[in-house]
Amino acid sequence: MSAEASNPAATPTPCEDAQGDGRWMSQHVRFVSECKEREPDVVFVGDSLVQLMHQFGIWRQLFSPLHCLNFGIGGDATQHVLWRLSNGELDNISPKVVVLWVGTNNHGHTAEQIAGGIMAIVQLIHNKLPHAHTLVLGVLPRGRMPNPLRERNAQVNKLVQDALSSLSHASFFNVDPGFVLSDGSISHQDMYDYLHLTAHGYQAVCEPLHAQIKSLLEKPAEN
Amino acid sequence: MSGDDLNPAAVPQPVEDLHGDGRWLAQHARFVQECKDGEPEVLFVGDSMVQLMEQYEIWREMFSPLHALNFGLAGDTTCNVLWRLQNGELQNIRPKAVVLWVGTNNHGHTAEQVAGGIVAIAQLLTNRLPKAKIVVLGLLPRGERPNPLREKNAAVNRLLCSWLPRLGQASFLDVSKEFVHADGTISSQDMFDYLHLTSAGYRTLAKPLLDLLLQILEETPEDRRASLV
Repeated sequence: MSAEASNPAATPTPCEDAQGDGRWMSQHVRFVSECKEREPDVVFVGDSLVQLMHQFGIWRQLFSPLHCLNFGIGGDATQHVLWRLSNGELDNISPKVVVLWVGTNNHGHTAEQIAGGIMAIVQLIHNKLPHAHTLVLGVLPRGRMPNPLRERNAQVNKLVQDALSSLSHASFFNVDPGFVLSDGSISHQDMYDYLHLTAHGYQAVCEPLHAQIKSLLEKPAEN
Repeated sequence: MSGDDLNPAAVPQPVEDLHGDGRWLAQHARFVQECKDGEPEVLFVGDSMVQLMEQYEIWREMFSPLHALNFGLAGDTTCNVLWRLQNGELQNIRPKAVVLWVGTNNHGHTAEQVAGGIVAIAQLLTNRLPKAKIVVLGLLPRGERPNPLREKNAAVNRLLCSWLPRLGQASFLDVSKEFVHADGTISSQDMFDYLHLTSAGYRTLAKPLLDLLLQILEETPEDRRASLV
């Protein structure tokens, strides 16, 4: 896997305020203060797939009772999440589980670079929270029909799964219930824009995820 | 008002498939198909502000019963919406009301250009659907604190307010002030990323919008209306 210095996906990088309304930084600052105010057992970090989960009823139903915080920001790639976690979003908290879901927005990066970025985040989390278990969710397929991004995401998952297999403080979890149908298509009933999940799509992802998190929470603390 | 051929925000343009998964065209194709299958009384068209509305419960509660179709597409500018409407998304349907909500993504354009683009879309809708009422929604403020984009969106709204009455069948609904607190901030309880609405945020908008739509639908004599209210 690429060394961090030469892997843009593994180089902590804040998001530029291209539009001029400072929204990315506002969200980051809000997450940093939540770390000072709350004592979560579980922290979710990632992109819009994490962020939108918080907007649906399923979050209150399954995850609020587990004392979860949601640090998802739409559009984030691995290097953005790496920056956020290096700049306050893991401070003052000691969650037992960190759920990491990122990688689909790393446009222009190879599967190897993206996997390298994900592993850099896993390492950072372990450095900051040595007792936490990181659950890395597989990147979902996207697009209505087969396309290069599906292949890229599948390759990322394969590389990450391999890299995680030797670690005890982190594991890979596949949350794809089979979104790709037999004709190769993804239904808009699951992903309304062939990328983001509907409430129905989230149901299929969150139920097994919830069970997995619960079993991690019930284990004795890692050393 | 900017002439259409001088206004880049009024030039129809599809979205380029930069990422390689063809999602924009796939969504457009699905909307064109829905025009063949459905007989909507209300059509919603615009960007992610429109698209996301359909994902929340309020859509099922308030707008599905009106036989509404949602042709919102995240990221769209006025150019993209114009292109979609000219390329199949108005075929075979005769809605009585069209809700248009677009403009916040027109980053390369001035407020005048954006307002001109929105009016161009309203004009197109009026030409293609002479009996329909067009409801244009004001661009909401964005960003946690005051910033240039808030000023720009407010300027677009002021222009729309004065330009739209010339179209006759267009009305303008702006709930912007409901979202900005006394200290100038927008709450993440209303906009989870200081742009996109939460479920609570949508409710603030949905009530006056639904009232307006019911009024429009009631004005048009129709047997099916009896089942609604």
